[in-house]
Amino acid sequence: MYRQGDVLIIPVAETEVPASAPVPRDRRGRMVLARGEATGHAHVVGGPGLQLVADLDDPDAMFIEVPSHGRVTHEEHGPISLPAGHYRVVRQREYIPGAFRPVAD
Amino acid sequence: MKLSHAQEAMAAAIEDQWLAAAVQTGDAARAAAEEGVRDSYRLAGLEVPDRIYWFGSPRAGAVAMALLSGRLPIPAATRPTVSSPDVEAFPSPPTAVAEASPAAARPASAATDGGAPPGVASGESAAGGAPPAAASSERVAAGVGVGSGSSAAEAGVPEWVAEVCAELRLQGWTPGETAGPSLRRRVRTEPWAAARKAAVEALGNDGWAQLSAAAGRRSWGLVMDLIAGRLRLRLGEDLAAAFPGDDSRAARMPVLDAIYGQYDGPWLSTFEAADRLCPEAGLMTGLAGLAEVARHAGWWWANEKVAVLTERPSALTRDNVGRLHRGEGAALEFPDGYGLWAWRGMPIPPELASELPTLTVTRIRHENNAEIRRVMLEHYGYDRYLRDAGARKMGSDETGTLWYLDLPGDEPLVMVEVVNSTPEPDGTSRIYWLRVPPRTRSAREGVAWTFGLTAEEYQPMIQT
Repeated sequence: MYRQGDVLIIPVAETEVPASAPVPRDRRGRMVLARGEATGHAHVVGGPGLQLVADLDDPDAMFIEVPSHGRVTHEEHGPISLPAGHYRVVRQREYIPGAFRPVAD
Repeated sequence: MKLSHAQEAMAAAIEDQWLAAAVQTGDAARAAAEEGVRDSYRLAGLEVPDRIYWFGSPRAGAVAMALLSGRLPIPAATRPTVSSPDVEAFPSPPTAVAEASPAAARPASAATDGGAPPGVASGESAAGGAPPAAASSERVAAGVGVGSGSSAAEAGVPEWVAEVCAELRLQGWTPGETAGPSLRRRVRTEPWAAARKAAVEALGNDGWAQLSAAAGRRSWGLVMDLIAGRLRLRLGEDLAAAFPGDDSRAARMPVLDAIYGQYDGPWLSTFEAADRLCPEAGLMTGLAGLAEVARHAGWWWANEKVAVLTERPSALTRDNVGRLHRGEGAALEFPDGYGLWAWRGMPIPPELASELPTLTVTRIRHENNAEIRRVMLEHYGYDRYLRDAGARKMGSDETGTLWYLDLPGDEPLVMVEVVNSTPEPDGTSRIYWLRVPPRTRSAREGVAWTFGLTAEEYQPMIQT
């Protein structure tokens, strides 16, 4: 598994990827795993034939399909290379009594 | 229809523009907004309104609408004791009146701002930047001046209500004059429904769904859930508090009848993107007036004889995930002084803000409200609190350090101290703190929990 700041990328079996649809690209045509609203910085994934998809029943649950190789980049963190495979994307959370909430990277 | 990557990027670019409009602060472009209002009436096959009134916040607009409905009695303290010269003093059309009145006063040149389409860059700076302090404080001061001298407070009516009433008169309103029936359904709901039907026909169900995701999903969460929804909820509560008893319903009715102006962007963006894909379908034609108001003003109300428009916020401060967030002032503030105080999206009482700079461990420990205490802890700084209050180090491993502190009458404060893997440009490494569940026993277990994993499962090969 790979961690870039507040995003963890966990290898999964292909069978663990649910029925899903491609996540829309952003205005620069990028595939965005997570984005900071104040900074505008984003965790972006790319690679030949690579797909970022989201669970049809839960658009917040994202998966990456990497046919050959991929790369994850962010303005404040070093890049990460992804070998071929399937991955689940997890955004970091923080405990608050009675609940939890996403971390603002 | 299936969208290509280029078409999705186009949709996302349009969404970014509408998102920028939704978080834009500063003076409304009044002339353009008023023209948008008239267009929306004409497009619905209606006569344009006789009068357009302007107010400095959704709260003032809502109360003005309640007064104009004729169902909310005029506050006793604002009834003139001598015959009012208002009508004679302001015989000009409503627009000119609005610019002459103190609370709505503004530089004449500002009426033509916002003519350029809202750029993404300006939206981002509006979201994160400092409030336009000078302009806003002048206008707040002017707004306060309107109500001075009235005995509103003595009569049990909040002073701001008296100010709205006075402002309405200054803009040419005579008590008894009503706005006529609401046209919200004709002006907003029906054009939306017609455009949606046409868009589904043009794009197919799948195409429409894909486009909605590309052009609207992100901004809907950011604008409706985190800003406009919060505002609507809070405004309902504030109006209920200001008008207890029989007048409560009449005062709150306008909240349900509002058109959201700049906050309509998240759904308008999907139609604009659809219009770009299928220009021949004319999908934006019936929405052009609504879109024009949304680019240039805040909440508004459409009634048969009268439209009431409101200013955009003078300041909006959000955190990095888009929640209203500010410790030393209102996170969302309007030019007449109305505002929402919030810390990471949680509403906080304004009194708390004045206390934040002087917090002590003892004060935080004695706060009974757990949510307020959490805000205090975050503002004080978890690391500082752990040190000052004598936290215990529970252990260190390669993921970080775990700290434990008993909070009397509450669950313990347990946090992991983590060092950022990528050094800052100056060579130092940023340290950050994450609160984890109280039963956490090791730093690894804590960090793993933040990603929904067990300590055994959490084994990152590479971290940056």
